[in-house]
Order: sequence, then structure tokens, then C-alpha cells
Amino acid sequence: MLRIRNLKCFYGRIMAIKGISLSVNEKEIITLIGANGSGKSTLLEAVSGLLPGWTGEILFDGEPLNGFDPPAIVRRGISLVPEGRLIFPPLSVYDNLKLGAYTLIKKGGHAGIEQDLDAVTTLFPILKERFRQPAGTLSGGEQQMLAIGRALMARPRLLLLDEPSMGLAPLIVEKILEVLKVLRDKGLTILLVEQNAQAALQVADRGYVFETGSIVLQGAADELLADKDVKRAYLGKDYGEFDEN
Amino acid sequence: MKTEDIFSLPPEEKNQLQLERLQSTLNRACRQVDFHRRRMADHGIDPAGIETLSDIARLPFLNRADFSEHYPYDLFAVPLRDIVRIHTAPGTTRNPTVSGYTAQDLSTWRQMTARALGAAGVTPHDILQIALNPGLANWGRDYKEGAEEMGVSVIPNTPLSMEKQFMVLRDYKTTVLITTPMMADYLAEYREKSGLHRDTLSLHTVILTGETVTGEFRRSLEERLRVKVWLHYGLSDVPGAAIAFECKTRDGLHVNEDHFLPEIIHPETGSPLPAGQTGELVLTTLTTRAFPLIRFRTGDRARLLEETCPCGCTLARIEWYAHRTDDIMNIDGVSVHGRQVRHTLESTLPIGPETFDLRVGCKEGRKCLEVDLPMNNTIFSDEIKELERLLRGTENRLRENLGIPVMIRLVEPKRRS
Repeated sequence: MLRIRNLKCFYGRIMAIKGISLSVNEKEIITLIGANGSGKSTLLEAVSGLLPGWTGEILFDGEPLNGFDPPAIVRRGISLVPEGRLIFPPLSVYDNLKLGAYTLIKKGGHAGIEQDLDAVTTLFPILKERFRQPAGTLSGGEQQMLAIGRALMARPRLLLLDEPSMGLAPLIVEKILEVLKVLRDKGLTILLVEQNAQAALQVADRGYVFETGSIVLQGAADELLADKDVKRAYLGKDYGEFDEN
Repeated sequence: MKTEDIFSLPPEEKNQLQLERLQSTLNRACRQVDFHRRRMADHGIDPAGIETLSDIARLPFLNRADFSEHYPYDLFAVPLRDIVRIHTAPGTTRNPTVSGYTAQDLSTWRQMTARALGAAGVTPHDILQIALNPGLANWGRDYKEGAEEMGVSVIPNTPLSMEKQFMVLRDYKTTVLITTPMMADYLAEYREKSGLHRDTLSLHTVILTGETVTGEFRRSLEERLRVKVWLHYGLSDVPGAAIAFECKTRDGLHVNEDHFLPEIIHPETGSPLPAGQTGELVLTTLTTRAFPLIRFRTGDRARLLEETCPCGCTLARIEWYAHRTDDIMNIDGVSVHGRQVRHTLESTLPIGPETFDLRVGCKEGRKCLEVDLPMNNTIFSDEIKELERLLRGTENRLRENLGIPVMIRLVEPKRRS
């Protein structure tokens, strides 16, 4: 579904991603793991059209994504749940969710929005309870659910998530990752960026390990979970440092 | 990836899978192995510049001599405490070749050998006997573990006389035998000489490895043992067995392309050859963790077959030819290099710069190394016992290093003309 070849991303003159290739097949949960600053989030930004400076090839359903702006990419079926949620705190939960369907509404696709809202609130019943509450008053976990719900309102086929576990209690993380499995089983394809490698690999089908802008390893999630290198990457230490300790 | 998935992978997806794995292999090798990092830098290559599979042709080759020069652990790409198995094979110089496996590597080999055995029709109902030279001990282990993973009953590789080997074959009702062509031939001959009917054996499958065979040899063996014969290709000095295997079509060997990237190059110029042309087989590991090979020159002569296999499997096929492209002798699958033999001879015998002849002989169903050593004054002793002791001691040393039978004969020095 998503095929990336030789992607290089730049921030000014700095190359943040140094030519990586990866692929996401339909109905898979793929996780990208690695230390802070290894290029995982940059990759999501490039895929969702937020990063102008990249070269290489990003194909979605066989079509290149070069030159498309974020709304066009959302319309093609890719939604991003950004790092730090980025919800609109003064707006109600309901309005936040509705904003997720912005591209659909703009196209005149009002029909079905209520149905989508129902689907999201079935997935996260707590959001229904908080419907009229300003989003800023939600707990961290609820805000994350809202951010995922908002992304789902655009009816994506590929959902990108950037660090959904950040700052959340382990129980909430588990709950959110469980929801990702439910979504995958319903046919959604998911690309998940996580520093919490352990948790991410438990729900993922496959994973890629990033190290300073390059992929150094890939494999089935259970293989990576058992891998000593991954444990080192998860700890955010490089091989040399780990050996010396 | 599951075997059934990889067998039917469309070419474009296979290409993507191989590219992803090649790039991460190069990144790991460059980050963790000085040798690879330095060589890439010397050639002005950044791993990020390898953007297609054919870009691999820009990378330098890895030769057997590199293994000996970086003895024992300098080519390992993981810390030693991640290594769970260390394997030694005869090198091309004084030093042996040492390779390592991580737990993940071992699991990969189990999958690969199980896949190859499955393609030969082996099932959990089979009794599988492994009869290989001690020099192929790692293949013995790979096959044993791969077969065990499938639930097959395995009779592991044990050094036995031919008589005992045959006894096990008959009495234990072995249904699948993994061995070398020479040994299979000898077992067939042994059965004929003993006057035993073919039906006394339960054998239905023979998997040959170590050396390639002709169609004629295969047909004759199939007739004499009433079996189906399959061929596997592996590397003896570095991991491991069943890198390529025959499918039910038995027309060329499918390469495990999810784990190895095959290339065919011109043996003299080193330039890549298109599919269909015969040259030297070069292999790059795509998933190996402990001991990555980047453009390893196997010395084996092969060609990539262009046509898709009628079996439907999309893994590329090679046709494997008998004559090597280098000066290494293949003795029942074990690589023997003259330089290494000289090192051993020089360390045990008082020999000078005179040349000795190396030949491949045959001894009770096993190929052996025959060394014709010109007699000289320093070797000569008027006590036959002393001379015998010296020669047998040297044979033992060579056998220990190579893992194959060795015979040394003293011959008359060649006259200088």
C-alpha cells in the first residue's frame, strides 16, 4: 500500500533521513522504532506532506505522493495523528472530531459524518461522555483518543501515528494500542512511530529500526522483540556505549 | 516471511524486500565492522548511495582470503555476547575461517533448511539420515535443526563407516538421506555388492549436496536406489547449507532470495553478467546478523535462469556447474586451497620450496585429498617407522584442519630438465 524507496529528508542542509526504503502492506501494523532524533517522525511528516524538502519515492497505492499538499494527501486516504496530539483545546470534543472530517465536508460529503462520529465514539466511549466539553479539559489519555478519533473522521485507509504513548500511563498506552489492533482487524493499515518499542512491537506485525536517519534492521515484530540490538536501540544507546557499561 | 508467501512474491515486491534488506545490511555492516566501513570509504561509497539492487555492482568483492586475514572475530557485526554459535572451517591460509551466528541467524537457517526440505517433499512422517563429512559439520547441524523444526525424525550426522551407515539406513528405515554424490554412489554400490534387494530399503528421497551432479548420474542413482534425487547448494566455509534448492520441477535451484542476493559475474573482469550467462556466483547476505557477506565470491560456476519456474515459485533459479572459477578444490563440498595445505605441510614436515601435487582421490565412498610429496634428503629417514610416523602425523593434522580424509604419498622427485 505504501512503498518508500531511497527517501532522503532535509532540514536546510542537514540530512535527517539518509536514503531509507520501507513498505507497508494492506491491513498491517508497521512500527518504526529507534532513539530520539533517528528520523522516525520526519518520515511521517514527509508522507503526510508536511515536509517540503525530500527526495526519493513515496508511492501510495502505486501513485507517487510528490508535490501533494497535506489536504490532498488526506483526501487520498492518509491521516496523521501528530506527536503531542495537537488538538484544539478551546473547541469541544465534538468540534475537534468534526474538524477531522474537514476535507470530506469541503467536498460536500456531509452524509455519513454522524455515522462516523458514532463509530469513533463506539471505539472510545469516553469521548461521547465528554462531547460538549472543551478538549483542553480532557486527560492526556482522552486527548490521545480524541486525536486518533479526529484522524479517523477523515476515513483514512492508512493511519500514521506519531508517539501516541508519549506521556501516558502504561494502562492507557495498552488500551490505545489495543484499539489499533481492533482498527487493523477492521481493515485499516497503520504506520506507528514509537519510542516505546516494547509496547509497539507487541501490537505490530513488522517493524523497522531507525538509527541516525538510516534503517539498520527490519523484521517480524516477534523477532525484533527478542532481538538484543533492538533492546539497545530501545534504550537509546548505541552499541559502543552499551558494551562499555 | 512465511515460505508460502515468499514463493509467490510478485517480482516488484521481491525487489522492494531485497532492497530494504540490502540497505539495512550495508548500514549495519558499515556501522559495526571496520573492514566494511573502511572498504566502502576507500571506494568512495556511502551506503545511502546504493539505491537499486544493481547498484551493488559498485561495491568491492569479499574474498576467502579476507576471512583468514581478519581471523578470528574482526568481521563479526555484533558484540561477541550476542553470538550463540562459533563455526570454524579451513581457510585459504594459515588461519581458519571463523564465522558466528546469533540466535536469530540460527532461526533463519532453520527456516531456510526446512523450506528446502519441504520443497523436496520431506514431511514430518519421514526419517531423515544425515551422512556428511566432518568438514561439513555445520551443514549437518543446519539440516538437523531445520528438519527437527518440521517435526521430522532425524538421525544426526555421525562419523560412521560405510558399513554402519548402510546398516542404519536399512535397519532404522530411513526414508530421506542427505549426503554427497560420492557417498550416495558408494551406498548404491554397497547395496549391489551385498546382494541386497532395493526393497530392503525404505529410502524414497536422496538430497545431494556439496557438489553438483549430471543428469546421467542422477538418473542412474534414482534407478539403483529407487529414489527421487534432489540437489541443494550451500557454502561450507561460511554459513551454511541449502542456500539454493530444487523444487518439484528439479530444473535449476531456487535461491533463498529473501536471505541472499545472487549475482553472476565474469570471473576475470568481475563485471556483472546478465541472466542466462555463465560466470561466478557472488552472494550477499540480506538478513544475516553476525557475519554479513557483501559480494562474497563463492568460486562456484553458475548461471541465473531467465524463465520463470513452472512450479510457480518466483525465487530466482541458478544452474550450478561442476568446474569452479578459482583454484580451490571442492572435495565432497569442503573447500580446499593449496596454500593452506602447504602451510600445514611446512609446519609438520621439513619440506622446502619444491612443489607437491594435490589430487582428489576416492576412498570408501568419500572423496579424499591425495598429496604426492617429492622425497628429499630432509624427509628421508633410514627408519621406515620414523618416516611412517611423520607422514601419518601430517595426514592427521591435515584431516583435522580440513575435515576430509587425506592420503600422503612420497614420490620420486621430478627431474629438472
